[in-house]
Amino acid sequence: MRLHKSGLMLIAAIVTGFAISRFEHLINPYYYQVLIYIGINIILASSLNLINGFAGQFSLGHAGFMAVGAYTSAVVTSQLHFASSSMLNTAAFSLALLLGGIVAAIFGLLVGIPSLRLKGDYLAITTLGFGEIIRVIVQNLDFLGGARGFTGIPKLTNFVWVFSTVAIVILLVSNLINSTYGKSFLAVRDDELAAETIGISSTRVKVIAFVTGAFFAGVAGALYAHFVTYINPAQFSFLKSFEIVVMVIIGGMGSIFGVILSAILLTILPEMLRSVAQYRMVVYSLLLIVIMITRPRGLFVRTRTAKQSVALKTLR
Amino acid sequence: MDLLTLRSCTMRFGGLTAIADLSIGLAAGDLLGLIGPNGAGKTTIFNMITGIYRPSSGQVLFDGHSIVGLKPNQIADRGIARTFQNIRLFPSMTVYETVQAAYSKGVKYGLIHAVSRCGPFHTSEEETDRAIAELLEYFELETVRNEIAISLPYGQQRKVELLRALATKPKLLLLDEPAAGMNPSEKVALMGLIERVRSDFRVSILLIDHDMRVVMGICKRLVVLDYGVKIAEGSPREIQCDSKVIEAYLGEPTE
Repeated sequence: MRLHKSGLMLIAAIVTGFAISRFEHLINPYYYQVLIYIGINIILASSLNLINGFAGQFSLGHAGFMAVGAYTSAVVTSQLHFASSSMLNTAAFSLALLLGGIVAAIFGLLVGIPSLRLKGDYLAITTLGFGEIIRVIVQNLDFLGGARGFTGIPKLTNFVWVFSTVAIVILLVSNLINSTYGKSFLAVRDDELAAETIGISSTRVKVIAFVTGAFFAGVAGALYAHFVTYINPAQFSFLKSFEIVVMVIIGGMGSIFGVILSAILLTILPEMLRSVAQYRMVVYSLLLIVIMITRPRGLFVRTRTAKQSVALKTLR
Repeated sequence: MDLLTLRSCTMRFGGLTAIADLSIGLAAGDLLGLIGPNGAGKTTIFNMITGIYRPSSGQVLFDGHSIVGLKPNQIADRGIARTFQNIRLFPSMTVYETVQAAYSKGVKYGLIHAVSRCGPFHTSEEETDRAIAELLEYFELETVRNEIAISLPYGQQRKVELLRALATKPKLLLLDEPAAGMNPSEKVALMGLIERVRSDFRVSILLIDHDMRVVMGICKRLVVLDYGVKIAEGSPREIQCDSKVIEAYLGEPTE
């Protein structure tokens, strides 16, 4: 039953994406751009939610994996670009997205194995450091353009690519979390020691979450690169990581739906504040502070999580 | 051959010797009670067996193999499950999900099947669901299956924790003060439950408690611990009359 439902949802999402893409030229280019950014941010926030929200490992290096995916895919398509055939371009872009994800996942594994021994703040600092290391390395690699950036990436990302990926990510994460297998993630988040005593290897769970999250960050980076057509290391600084973390926290850690909504909200909000020009970031920050004071566990937490927080309070 | 053997185990924390040269044997199917006053080192022994601590010296054998140095999850895989003195349930999970978590290790599919919902996913999930439903019925928890486990009354939380441990299909169950915080009638019911679990699930049990009535009622053999040293071992009757035990619990007789 559930398979039917989720499978149908996926197909519906992709068909809708195709239908909308037919009218792409009718959409105001500015709105179109915001829509694409919303999609990319949903992918980034949902994949980070898997690490931060479901496996409970506070990572601040997501932009680093995004950079890996962006640069890898840019190298692939710049080598394999076919001006004439759109079929071949589609194939090359699929390959680029996949490779972007895979290379990011490999980086996730390399970063994850040493740093996931750490907990809490220490892990956050370490992942922040690794994210910056990735950025600085890219900055100094001449064949990637160094600090000048990587130019001339073909504009292959469109509505269908982005929202198909969004649908897949959401489906995969929710399938995982609602399965018996996925309960091991929540168990590690809730109580690592108790999880270990029922045979769950916490290291394994953390690494799987980290690698999967890094994979989708890489795909998001690849989509981003092929939309903006020009990337440079500064776009993937820790500020980008923070932006994604804020989306997860505002949405409510471990809430699939909440994180999607907050990714949409936090992409649109700075755009709407463009009218107040130089005070934009001040207003944005103030709004974040107000949200955190009034809804400390996230804007869109489910009632169940609210109940749980009450139970937690009485316990302490 | 014994299922679990502790051979001259010592556990030191800096200058403090929590457990000194302790040897215990537990045969398959046994229900062994471990008693002693507060601070005697009972929970330390559990932490040593389950791999949370590594004994400073000595051997821990399970099923004839040494388990010293294994990680807690590896020891759980070998078939040792435990409960905690201060209940450690998963705060975000319902009763059903808590048991599911215990099954998450034993599912017959991997990450790819879990996210794509194909292959053996559905049959495995149905199997697990049936097994969990049976367990919940056995423990009379089916009415609260969708409640958050830590929002339940204390006695039921203990049951959920016991159920979570049993769901890993252990050969040996370590119960750390299962009766703590219960009233006398709940304790009687719990003793009955532990005895039934032992025979129905064919597990051996090592039980800690300082409530004499609980252990005396169900354990055929007891080990008494004081300041990390085994001071007596035997049947409940022998223990009751042992002068060293009386001394440990009530203090030395004055002239």
